[in-house]
Amino acid sequence: MADGLQTVKNWILDRHPERDDIASDLDLIENRLIDSLSFVEFVFLLEQESGTSIQMETLEVESIRTLGAIEQHFFHAPAQAPVEVQA
Amino acid sequence: MPARPAAPPAGGLGWANLGMDIVSVNRVRRLLAEYGERFFERMLTPGELADCRTSSGLDVLSLCGRIAAKEAAFKTLRVRGRFLPWPDIVVRRSEGGWPLVELHRAAAEMAAESGITEITVSISHDVDYAVAVAAPIIAPAPAPATPIQ
Repeated sequence: MADGLQTVKNWILDRHPERDDIASDLDLIENRLIDSLSFVEFVFLLEQESGTSIQMETLEVESIRTLGAIEQHFFHAPAQAPVEVQA
Repeated sequence: MPARPAAPPAGGLGWANLGMDIVSVNRVRRLLAEYGERFFERMLTPGELADCRTSSGLDVLSLCGRIAAKEAAFKTLRVRGRFLPWPDIVVRRSEGGWPLVELHRAAAEMAAESGITEITVSISHDVDYAVAVAAPIIAPAPAPATPIQ
């Protein structure tokens, strides 16, 4: 797991001490791990950890519904072009 | 898991979905201490922040009341899969001190889809919590045109 995503996971766990882990496919919204107020704070954290600026107005719910979706949308490194090795 | 019952849609004459919200003062104080006022600039317009300001700075109870009112207003819209469009639901202090909701952009579109023309809110707070309740105002559907005889 990427360091940034682990930080995001720890941030959620810190606020929900009743949980000791979060599955990558757990619905964070349905399970009330993120609410409207924490969502704004969560966006701050995502911006900080992913290094991207996030427009709350255009952010899709699906992109932060699960840790898996967060990883895909915010921490997914673009595929590296193959490096040609000179013989 | 058994299927969940279906709730009525947001709009429709004779039917109003109330919205209610509660905000913890401690939680907002923590956010203010940790991030400063800039955190709330994503949630409140400059006018709303000005309404919450006193001679000694931001009044946290007023801030909590505004946040609760926005959330309560949003709940009346019964929108799925959307986040609260914080800057689009504006809660201002009207002449007389009553909160007045203005719907803009995305919030106005969501309301229009449900036939909601206005949202009225009431806010209360006491030491540790602010609460707000909101009710939508539904416009009657236009009467069908009478066919010309």
